[in-house]
Amino acid sequence: MKPLLLEISELASIAATLPFSRSISFQKIPTKSPPPLQASSTQLQPMEELPPKLQEIIKLFQSVEEPKAKYEQLMFYGKNLNPLDTQFKTRENKVEGCVSQVWVRAYLDQDKNVFYQADSDSVLTKGLAALLVNGLSGRPVQEVLRISPDFAVLLGLQQSLTPSRNNGFLNMLKLMQRKALELLIEAEKGDGSSGNGQIANDNSEKPVENSTSDSKVDEDSGVGFSSSKNGEDSSSGLGSRGTRIKKKLEKELSPIELEVEDVSYQHAGHAGVRGSDGETHFNVRIVSKEFEGKSLVKRHRLIYGLLDEELQTGLHALSIVAKTPSEVEAK
Amino acid sequence: MMEGVVVKLPSFPFLYPTVSPSSPNCRLGFRRFSAPLSAAVKEGSVSLGHSTRPDFPILHQKVNGSNLVYLDNAATSQKPTAVLKALQDYYETYNSNVHRGIHYLSAKATDEYELARKKVAAFINASDSTEIVFTRNATEAINLVAYSWGLSNLRPGNEIILSIAEHHSAIVPWQIVAKITGAILRFVSLDENEVPDVEELRGMISERTKLVVVHHVSNVLGSVLPIEDIVIWAHAVGAKVLVDACQSVPHMVVDVQGLDADFLVASSHKMCGPTGVGFLFGKSNLLLDMPPFLGGGEMISDVFLDHSTYAEPPSRFEAGTPAIGEAIGLGAAIDYLSGIGMQKIHDYEMELANYLYEKLCSVPNIRIYGPKPSDNIHRAALCSFNVENIHPTDLATFLDQQHGVAIRSGHHCAQPLHRHLGVNASARASLHFYNTREDVDEFIRSLDDTVSFFNSFK
Repeated sequence: MKPLLLEISELASIAATLPFSRSISFQKIPTKSPPPLQASSTQLQPMEELPPKLQEIIKLFQSVEEPKAKYEQLMFYGKNLNPLDTQFKTRENKVEGCVSQVWVRAYLDQDKNVFYQADSDSVLTKGLAALLVNGLSGRPVQEVLRISPDFAVLLGLQQSLTPSRNNGFLNMLKLMQRKALELLIEAEKGDGSSGNGQIANDNSEKPVENSTSDSKVDEDSGVGFSSSKNGEDSSSGLGSRGTRIKKKLEKELSPIELEVEDVSYQHAGHAGVRGSDGETHFNVRIVSKEFEGKSLVKRHRLIYGLLDEELQTGLHALSIVAKTPSEVEAK
Repeated sequence: MMEGVVVKLPSFPFLYPTVSPSSPNCRLGFRRFSAPLSAAVKEGSVSLGHSTRPDFPILHQKVNGSNLVYLDNAATSQKPTAVLKALQDYYETYNSNVHRGIHYLSAKATDEYELARKKVAAFINASDSTEIVFTRNATEAINLVAYSWGLSNLRPGNEIILSIAEHHSAIVPWQIVAKITGAILRFVSLDENEVPDVEELRGMISERTKLVVVHHVSNVLGSVLPIEDIVIWAHAVGAKVLVDACQSVPHMVVDVQGLDADFLVASSHKMCGPTGVGFLFGKSNLLLDMPPFLGGGEMISDVFLDHSTYAEPPSRFEAGTPAIGEAIGLGAAIDYLSGIGMQKIHDYEMELANYLYEKLCSVPNIRIYGPKPSDNIHRAALCSFNVENIHPTDLATFLDQQHGVAIRSGHHCAQPLHRHLGVNASARASLHFYNTREDVDEFIRSLDDTVSFFNSFK
């Protein structure tokens, strides 16, 4: 019997399987109740990790000072929310713990970006739902899963972050994240994208397990602690893929700082990884002039582009921190 | 800090006034009460609300930038300094485990604990303090009756009569026990005044009825049931009556002997006492025949490996270390309330109740649940309501954040009732004797502002 709600701790352990940049300080999704509303910004998840549209929304709310006006803004979002068809107002789509009724529907596009629709009979709750729908739709699942609810503090809406049966906002976000994860797992199962010898599904445009590719680096990889074939980076314990990633980024971006960390072992039990041989998840921290003038999204796209071949051949996810030299200095 | 002379107000009969209300949803024909009532209150006397407010430190604070207006008393009441002092006193000077200790502290704690029991008994006019069982709250007390009395007395086909307006705590334990014993639950619906249909209830009582479970005062409808009559009808067929007095004991004189109730439950936290303690009143002969509910220390007589013998009531039903300090705090709350006088509290709250209802009626498109007050129908000082096209959660949120007004939104632990009324949720404002007319004025003003805000947006 599927539980309808994931506890934050469960979400945290699932989220921990995803790329998480650990070389800068930020707050992981907490396993206990989140910090009080007065938490200083250094404890909050850095804005760059949030979906771009959500960042815009947050900035908008921050620029609106008067509480009443904030509510009006919230209600405005709600008013403009696309209506949710009655057929989607099902039990599975209902957010638990709302005194009002809230439904959320999620679906993936062919690039496995998640999209949402929502509705509520309470105007304020609908506004919050719309905020989340607008902020999260169209983004990759990993990005959505990484979102910590703490950002709500920045909205200035006096939104309680205490996990409780009655916290509609928190439960909405959790449900959206859970649905995204479930959809992704289902989609990846369908693609046959994990592991050797699995036959790719018809829907998959890119069969990922490719036995002819020389990227199958089974012997040394996996745990991330083995010394690499090439003898480099033995201190960081990178396997051949990790080394290739590092080399590529070094070559193309001439970074002044580069850290590549293999965190695949954290995903050993993860459904998407089962059957593969490790070297699937990496944290990348890179400081390069090449990022100047580029938005966060562009920087990530650049890196993904450079590592496209890896992504086609078993690399599942990258957690990227991409900065320019001046940004690093400014800190 | 307000100083004033508290004048003993005589009870006013309700006079027939002149003007009818604005809103059609507000029970056409309800009339406002005329000037003489308010004039008497103004004449050089300080209302109960104003005179008692200083005793409640928690009321004097700002919430979200506005003065707190606490109107959620049906959910829980605030505590006067006397109660806080009693708690502190207990923990600071004589905290000790009760009943078996020899030493000085333990003896004192035991004395105070048992004295609190006597106070409860006196407060509801029970014939003996052994008829008072301390529990965690009213919910636990009902469960006690269900599991102890219910399991040993109910047979397949026996009927338990309840109203659809009961609190979940008065419904769910009986559902559980009915399933185990094969008893059947039957529910009384509401009449045209939106009050449980007493005639229907009377009609339902038969020789199959073993128990009637009813509230004294409804936490949603604000209505009062004629318990004495219900008890007479039930006893005529040999059925027992369990009275949920959570919303009555804190607000009016309750006399269990006068009512002749078999069981009665209430919670301390709703009557200016601390959380964590409540009580069950049960007639001696009933308690004597009931098996234990929870097993453990305190409730036993002798313990062997293969069996144990049990203590006499009330100890039989008080397993483990009780909420000693809290029971003593409840005793202090009772002292405080008695010092004012429950009749006086009731009379004051009746005025407030009518004032609240009258003012709420002036809000356009409002729908208040429960009966309209009249000569023979008295409402408690609470109103559950909905405003057309505005979700009660939106109302409650805005009232809190913009005006510091605390009301409740939801089903108030009465889902079957809300289903019957055809709504998912309602907003509820509930008062206690330390609220004032100004609180009501502020509430209405804020509600008007809130309603305008949401309406302007559509």
